[in-house]
Amino acid sequence: MMKTLLLTLVVATLFTGAANAGDLVKMKGSTQGRSNHEFIYQDGCKGCHQGSGKQNATDAACVECHGEITSIPVDESKLAIPEAHPHKSLHYNQGASCLACHGEHEKKAPVCAECHRTWFKEM
Amino acid sequence: MHDRRSFLKLGAGAAVGGIAAALPSAVSATECASNIKWDETRDVIVVGSGFAGLSSALNAKRQGLGSILVLEKMQVIGGNSAINGGWLAIPKNPIQLAQGINDDSPEELVKDQIISGRGMQNTDMLRQIANRALDAYQLCIDTGVKFREGFNQQVGGHNKARAIRTLHGVGGDITTKLYEAGKKEGVEYRLQHYVEDFIMDGQEIVGLKVRQNYRFPDLKTGKTIYIKANKAVILAHGGFSRNLVLRELVDPALDKTLDCTNALGATGEVTLTAMAHGAFPVHMSFIQTGHWGSPDEGGFGWSNALLSIGFHKGISVNVLDGKRFMNERADRKTCSDAIMKNRHPDGSPAYPVVFFNHDDHIGAEEVTRAVRDQIAWKVDSLEQLAKQFNIPLAPLKQTVAEYNKQVPQRIDPLFGRMMDTAVELKPPFIVSRIWPKVHYCMGGLKTDLGARVLHSQTLAPMKNLYAVGEATGGTHGGTRLSSTACLECLTMGIIVAETIKSDMQA
Repeated sequence: MMKTLLLTLVVATLFTGAANAGDLVKMKGSTQGRSNHEFIYQDGCKGCHQGSGKQNATDAACVECHGEITSIPVDESKLAIPEAHPHKSLHYNQGASCLACHGEHEKKAPVCAECHRTWFKEM
Repeated sequence: MHDRRSFLKLGAGAAVGGIAAALPSAVSATECASNIKWDETRDVIVVGSGFAGLSSALNAKRQGLGSILVLEKMQVIGGNSAINGGWLAIPKNPIQLAQGINDDSPEELVKDQIISGRGMQNTDMLRQIANRALDAYQLCIDTGVKFREGFNQQVGGHNKARAIRTLHGVGGDITTKLYEAGKKEGVEYRLQHYVEDFIMDGQEIVGLKVRQNYRFPDLKTGKTIYIKANKAVILAHGGFSRNLVLRELVDPALDKTLDCTNALGATGEVTLTAMAHGAFPVHMSFIQTGHWGSPDEGGFGWSNALLSIGFHKGISVNVLDGKRFMNERADRKTCSDAIMKNRHPDGSPAYPVVFFNHDDHIGAEEVTRAVRDQIAWKVDSLEQLAKQFNIPLAPLKQTVAEYNKQVPQRIDPLFGRMMDTAVELKPPFIVSRIWPKVHYCMGGLKTDLGARVLHSQTLAPMKNLYAVGEATGGTHGGTRLSSTACLECLTMGIIVAETIKSDMQA
């Protein structure tokens, strides 16, 4: 059900010509967030942060809507080389936290960029 | 005293230059096992998720040791092993036998390791590991690890071709499979769990104080929980090559300008915590550096393979004066020392360049990937080379002219380099920048052959505390041979599980 909602929202965002899904935008006060997550912010912080907004969120918040890492598609035409697939990493495969590469409230360079400096940009 | 607020104060003070430093006994002094309120209990806790940790956890599960929990402080499984090059030395491996090499044996490998260990290696430990090499290989095959077909090579310091390599040339080919096998068999893994301290009862470890939901390297993140270990704590947290403070303390030559081939988490604070509780460290100052690093990439990278061409077919040049400054084919240490003398007046690195003929290596993978990933560049002339890297042109031209004169005579009057592989330099060139990188810690916690950690007062095993892999010290002695770290880690993971089982029965 969440997945359907997510898809609807992504499609809606695309058609309204607003910020691209995943862009960092102002959400609440000085807090930034991803444009495709706007609906989550309407319910406060606890949708992702268990207990309180001051506690670090975990992967559970991401997986609930997006599914497991290896099932999430990426635009393969943008990969530096075919093996540089971040959701099927030769180094980590299923063993990577979403948070290793993705930040919700700020831009972040993925863990891969520590070594492969030209392959990935901050997201 | 050990409420969260006072811990945070101490924790903030202990963070040195962004490197997570260990919290010594000041914090733990008041934490007696008897007044801990345990949040969780497991039979075996493994600290670290590289080759050693993953092998230990899987084998502990298979030995029937009960509930197994792996704690990894980073946001990915695999530690430094996940970014390792996937080389594995296995005497008598099937590929080697198919190549018709029938005169290798575990003892032949140990012979090579005694030479590289310079007499300071633990020969009994090396022999035990070599004797179980085929078990480590079988562990890989059983969990689905793929090796390159027909590929078995002789690598540096080995007297036989016995090093196989994973399909993609990354240790991740092994760590991902061990992790996925462990998950299937009921091992529990947790990311972002940082070990703050050990909870001891005298010389016996009874559990861990852990920062849950930690975000490297900020010690103020997450919250403290206590996890009891009924049977064992296995330390498999790796080396400390990324701990700039610690490595310079034990080897002052390793100044902070040296980058590192390791994953960012190789900071070794658990080694310090173990020492604070009495564990005995050995060979801490034996740290391997490679002179083949590039400042333009992270990790081990492509530079090493690129320089296997550059150091033979090209020259290295000081960018400040345009002159050669070393025998490019000397050993690691000699080259590292010479490279690190290239400094600006303020002490910052003046990265030297290495260049060789582009046209002699068209299509070579070592070159194409380095250029693609911008750690090397093609320049069409000495003028362009000088301009791009800010090298004085006139002396650069003179350096190349003089070198080219020596090539046909096969002599290097300046540095005494072996010139049998040298060729006359003709543009266009492939050029890259170089600076050494710290690679591996031979030193660490001293264990007995069963991986039991020894106490520094009694020199006897500390009860329920075990250590495997790069976290341990004294196995390799002066230098570790290439392709033997993975072997050690996988094998000791098997052995430590057997030890714990036998200790339980004793």
